[in-house]
Amino acid sequence: MQLLEIFDPKAAPKPVGIDLGTTNSLVARVRDGKPFVISDCNQNKLVPSVVHYDPRGRVVVGHDAARLAAEFPRETIVSVKRFMGRGADDPETRRLGPYEFAPANSPEEAKTVRFLVRGKTVTPVEVSAEILRVLRQLAEDELRSVGGVVITVPAYFDDAQRQATKDAGNLAGLDVLRLINEPTAAALAYGLESRKNGLFAVYDLGGGTFDITILLLDDGVFQVRSTGGDSALGGDDMDRALAVKILKDLGAPTDPPRELVRLALDTARRIKHGLTDATQVEAEIDIAGATRTLTVTRDEFEALAKPLVERTGVACRRALRDAGVSPSELDGVILVGGATRVPLVRRYVEQLFGKPPLLDIDPEEVVALGAAIQADILAGTKERADEVLLLDVLPLSLGLETMGGVAEKVLPRNTTIPAGARQVFTTYADNQTGFHLHIVQGERELATDCRSLARFVLKGIPPMPAGMARLEVTFRVDADGLLGVTAKELTTGIEQRVEVTPSYGLSDDEVEAMLMSALDHGEEDLERRQLVEARVEAERVLHATRKALVADADLIETVDERKRIDEAIAALERAVSGDKQSLIRASTDGLDVATHDWAGRRMDRAIAKAIAGKEVELVEQAVAHAKGVDAHVVEHGRADAGLPAAES
Amino acid sequence: MRDPFETLGVEPRFDIDLDKLAERHRDLSRALHPDRYAGAPAAERRLALGRAIEVNDAHRVLKDPVRRAEALLRRAGVPIGETAEPKPSQTLLMEMMDQREALADARRSKDLAAVHELASATRQREHAVLVKLAHAFSAGENHAEAALPLVGELRYVRRFLDEVSAIEEDLAP
Repeated sequence: MQLLEIFDPKAAPKPVGIDLGTTNSLVARVRDGKPFVISDCNQNKLVPSVVHYDPRGRVVVGHDAARLAAEFPRETIVSVKRFMGRGADDPETRRLGPYEFAPANSPEEAKTVRFLVRGKTVTPVEVSAEILRVLRQLAEDELRSVGGVVITVPAYFDDAQRQATKDAGNLAGLDVLRLINEPTAAALAYGLESRKNGLFAVYDLGGGTFDITILLLDDGVFQVRSTGGDSALGGDDMDRALAVKILKDLGAPTDPPRELVRLALDTARRIKHGLTDATQVEAEIDIAGATRTLTVTRDEFEALAKPLVERTGVACRRALRDAGVSPSELDGVILVGGATRVPLVRRYVEQLFGKPPLLDIDPEEVVALGAAIQADILAGTKERADEVLLLDVLPLSLGLETMGGVAEKVLPRNTTIPAGARQVFTTYADNQTGFHLHIVQGERELATDCRSLARFVLKGIPPMPAGMARLEVTFRVDADGLLGVTAKELTTGIEQRVEVTPSYGLSDDEVEAMLMSALDHGEEDLERRQLVEARVEAERVLHATRKALVADADLIETVDERKRIDEAIAALERAVSGDKQSLIRASTDGLDVATHDWAGRRMDRAIAKAIAGKEVELVEQAVAHAKGVDAHVVEHGRADAGLPAAES
Repeated sequence: MRDPFETLGVEPRFDIDLDKLAERHRDLSRALHPDRYAGAPAAERRLALGRAIEVNDAHRVLKDPVRRAEALLRRAGVPIGETAEPKPSQTLLMEMMDQREALADARRSKDLAAVHELASATRQREHAVLVKLAHAFSAGENHAEAALPLVGELRYVRRFLDEVSAIEEDLAP
């Protein structure tokens, strides 16, 4: 079975799920309806998220890189995820670590950290892309061709961190279908496996991030009620706390050499792992040729880890409150992430939620398995697509800076996505001709305490007295959790629109340039990749259209409409069999236009069905479609998908 | 904005069954969520995205009693918003000020029991207002104006409860 797949020259691209972790990364796929983690030739499932840059300019990733970390601390990037979407002056960047950073030449550049490695600068996006490339290779070795990809991110990642992750995926040559939240992915894998319904908490303590998610499992719908966390708290911090103690015990200077820092961090991690089963661990550490022996007891380690573990409680209580749920109402607590193997963490979780956590899942594999299932659903290849649905939320409030530097929330945290909201602002000075818009993310009162996502200016407003101009700002968050903002001025009839996609310091041009240089034959490779992507997209659309023709052909109103749809299908089929990318794209658009009105009617029917419930469905089957459905279509038949207005 | 009751296809009333509402939201999401249209042509995906946003927004409005009441008033053609509504009564303002001072004291002295007590008193009051509002709205759209002062009171009470919860969380062991 597996061999056949590898050697089938016509193998269709297959979707995969990727858990891009702080410490380890995994790639998984669905086979015969069940998700599996893909292993390398040595049967390793975990790829350490470590990237080493060697003197000849080659890149080493994974286990081999991890072995080089101690000897080349500056040239080996460990836990790069902690730096994703973070600026040069972020507190996270200044923590105990062996790296050297390139100075930022401009405020724009300062928005992303740049590692200085062997005289060259690399961004976290590029480092992550190296890890993703290795995972892609791993998947291709098994599947021959990789199609769409779902990558998981911590639920508490902000917009900049998400955008950076998506860019890393593109840079690695992956067709990123979706970013999904790690706890949600875990719940998906767990829920489908156990077939349980109910209210669950997912406690996800990884290498560098902590997430808590409260969600409802209801017959295939996975609805997140609330999420919270800390995107700079994880097992790494326990290592760091222990490393500080080790360095002190060794009598190291206050500013120890980088090699020693790396060594202390690695030793600390080994000790932490040992203390999962043992109550006392001895570790040897080689310094300048001499071997020193350290003994750490579990009690000593727990004393260091306790304040960190307790920090998770704050987020948990808030998530419970946001969900309007008390611990006794939970049907179970699911543990995710390697750091939940620490006995102290398990005891703390049990005490916090008043029940022992569920232990029948592998906390390190479950996220990748969930991602694979979601990739399978989004690729539209499985029947399951009709049974399973993830409803996730916005982890952090989105808002605008208003007068006095106050952050006005436009979309509050834990709003179900996709989401949209509109808010109207006005001028505060006479004859003000421009609006400065500053988009922020976070829960704090003041904009300066929130994460700055984007700034832009809307110009050309005619002079008016203060308070007369009406600026309407629309926020829109898609199912990836990524934000788009538009603004227009209403009163003058002059409509200006500014599209803003928040950035984290890498411009589109920079990402494009990275992409070109990452490919061996630059342009040629890029074109080939775009052709493959256009084909995959076209096949997807054709498949969906054919499926719809089986189910909803009766909603096509005229013979002429049917003819246009059939012709557009035939044209796209012809285009796909050729290799002109532009023709495939144009024909895909053609089918798009031909099916547009019919799609609106089908959506109305779907709504009518959902509202009318099962009774109507039964009636429908018995009496043929016509009347009941038509009545609903009229009632709900405003076909244009207008933006939802929100607050005044 | 489209009427949220219509968007979700539920009867426009104040004492709505929140579990049923959530179920309706889930059913509509099953039909409209962008994931359902992952393979569909681009225009169809945009259409689904717009509809899904509308459904999510309607659910968000109807879950919140203040915004649900506002939606009912809007249906009845009663102007709402700070400038359009009558000023809250002097009694209400005085009461809220006293409550606020009591909360500030409890916070300063880290007296969690006192905070809990204020919380439970305010929750009782919230419940009473909700019952009165349901009653006011059940009299029909022509009498919706009677609900206006109650909506004002509910806003104050809910805002106070938010603060109480935040303090409860801060002071929690």
